[in-house]
Amino acid sequence: MSKRLAAALALPLLLVAAWPASAAVKAADVIGRAIDGFVRPAYASLDDHAASLAKAMRRLCAVPSEQNLDAARADFSATVETWAVAEIIAFGPIKENNRLERMLYWPDRKSIGLRQVQATLAAKDPSAADPGQLAGKSVAMQGLGALEYVLFGDGAETLAGKDDPYRCAYGSAVAGNVQAIAGEVRDAWNKPGGFASLWANPGPKNPLYRDGTEAVTELVGVFINELEMIRDVRLKGFLGAKPDADKPKQAIYWRSHNTMNSLAGNLSGIDELFQASKLGDALPADARWMAESIHIQLSNGVATAKSVDGPIDKALADPALRDKLEHFAMITSSLSTLIGTRMTAEFGLTAGFSSLDGD
Amino acid sequence: MAWPGTQLIDRREFLRAAGAGFAAAMTPRAWADTLAADAVFATAFVKRDGSFGAAVLSEAGNILHTLDLPDRGHDVTFDPVSKRSVVFARQPGTFAVVFDHAGREKPSTIASIAGRHFFGHGVFSPDGALLYATENDFDNAAGVVGVYDARAKFNRIGEFPTYGMGPHELLLLGDGRTLAIANGGIETHPDFGRAELNIATMKPSYTLVDRITGDLIEKHELPRALHQLSIRHMDRDRAGTVWFGCQYRGPATDRPALVGRAARGKDLELLEMPQEVLSGFRNYIGSVAANPAAGTVAVTSPEGNSLAVIDAASGRIIAARSLVEVCGLAPDGAGFMATTGAGEIVGGADAARLEPDYVWDNHMLRIAAA
Repeated sequence: MSKRLAAALALPLLLVAAWPASAAVKAADVIGRAIDGFVRPAYASLDDHAASLAKAMRRLCAVPSEQNLDAARADFSATVETWAVAEIIAFGPIKENNRLERMLYWPDRKSIGLRQVQATLAAKDPSAADPGQLAGKSVAMQGLGALEYVLFGDGAETLAGKDDPYRCAYGSAVAGNVQAIAGEVRDAWNKPGGFASLWANPGPKNPLYRDGTEAVTELVGVFINELEMIRDVRLKGFLGAKPDADKPKQAIYWRSHNTMNSLAGNLSGIDELFQASKLGDALPADARWMAESIHIQLSNGVATAKSVDGPIDKALADPALRDKLEHFAMITSSLSTLIGTRMTAEFGLTAGFSSLDGD
Repeated sequence: MAWPGTQLIDRREFLRAAGAGFAAAMTPRAWADTLAADAVFATAFVKRDGSFGAAVLSEAGNILHTLDLPDRGHDVTFDPVSKRSVVFARQPGTFAVVFDHAGREKPSTIASIAGRHFFGHGVFSPDGALLYATENDFDNAAGVVGVYDARAKFNRIGEFPTYGMGPHELLLLGDGRTLAIANGGIETHPDFGRAELNIATMKPSYTLVDRITGDLIEKHELPRALHQLSIRHMDRDRAGTVWFGCQYRGPATDRPALVGRAARGKDLELLEMPQEVLSGFRNYIGSVAANPAAGTVAVTSPEGNSLAVIDAASGRIIAARSLVEVCGLAPDGAGFMATTGAGEIVGGADAARLEPDYVWDNHMLRIAAA
């Protein structure tokens, strides 16, 4: 054998099948709409909320009170929700300088981050209360997980009084760091000739996206990968196959009761991105129903997640609420099939989605 | 670091090796006739209907035989002494299936023990007495090699560390005693699916471990700036040099070298490649296979839809091509057989064949004719 393969190998690099599935819809336009209609606004919103959170923390430190603590906590929860929307874009500028892990170190399975935060609070390390120096420390000490512990963990009530100014100062530094990261990512997506321009201009000279197929594959990959992440990592990390296998303390943001808010935010982000990109317009007429169905199921998923509020351990203990969590899992599975199998088949994009990756 | 019973195993191995000739002589004539002329290839697959299995392919790329798997498989290893193959579950799977590539004997299943799962790769000792598998001691985020007694229903008789986190492929070196292990450096835990938990601090390594004593012989790491370059797959060339392929978990805009060489007592060496070839891998090598007879090594990237062949002596790229979702790779004649996620089987005695119902999995093993 191998004469043929050897012969084939001697050929120059061939182009693989190319988008568009529908000649009327250009890959560059789809990506351009995804960036302008979703990525940039999502990061702008995150930056706004992070700025407001940092301000609320400074105010709390200056004038500790129940009211200012409540305000800071509310700003934290709002920031978590906007981050849940933005974090579905897990490539590009957020991947540089460990920003993704610095923004949110999770899961903290071995409580490494928790212990580092507790040790910092105990030692009152002044360098950790300085946003600039904090950015160079362990990723687990400088993001939303650390700030959640400061605001909602053991001893957080002292923030309303004057007895523990260090806790507030450290929390304020974390909030400042979160704001700085959000600002960097927002700026990087807006930078002329930056990552956005690479993604929206596929072509043979482009080092990342050699054709429209690769650019669209990155977009469709967001839907597929994030649905899997929401279900298999975020939800099933605490929702067991049976109630006795539930692990409420493995739930993301369990301390601040934002678990399901964040999952709702993730699905909202997927819905917004899908709508903004108008990817559905590229479906052939007899498959347009898919776009509508995707939108309906995403809306259902968001509503289901939001209907489970309060502490996650209480929700797990309540059979009716726990059923909703299982229903949420089912919605994400159905979406994974619809997008990952059926829609990709319509686009001729099955390549790249047979999950050969990751091993 | 030794596991209990080391000396006993040594003696058993010797006795079993002495009996190996007899086992080979028992090969049924009909089966020998079928396979005498050609090698076969074994690979895991996912079917388009969502079911999982492993297949044995002829040199012509025809499916000779398949077996069902309960979940997705990954790599296959073969023991030429007992002529049994083992297909391992893909991480974080908890099974491995022992099968006869001629389809004569019923497959049997090895289950991972509590607190461990397989990483998808394994290797037999030269005498076929022991099977070694890379496994995750996930609560401690530590890589281990599980040791199974192949002559006693694959009972798990011990384990030793891989001296790194997230081990992936392992090879037996030419001395028959040293295991080369690619510690990918990535922490995972089955509670969180396949999520990678330590990307900011990951530290891959390449280790040589004595399979008899479990002792660490050598450990090599990449330069600090490349700590997100996960070492995952390997093969050995004619000279005994180990070639490894990496996957980069840092920013997609970086373009680190992805293929390297390891020789005993030397630092890891990363290979420079022409930019257009390197770019074609999209920071991801899925499989590495050497063709010792041809003096070549091939690497594939299913992410970049590309395959490249390297001259082992000079380290130069001698061929590169695009092939949608190519990953599985095994030496075949003077070249390589390759399989793809689109169902293609390229190479073999005939031209490329398509099995549209099959998504061929990441790896393929060549089983030489009896």
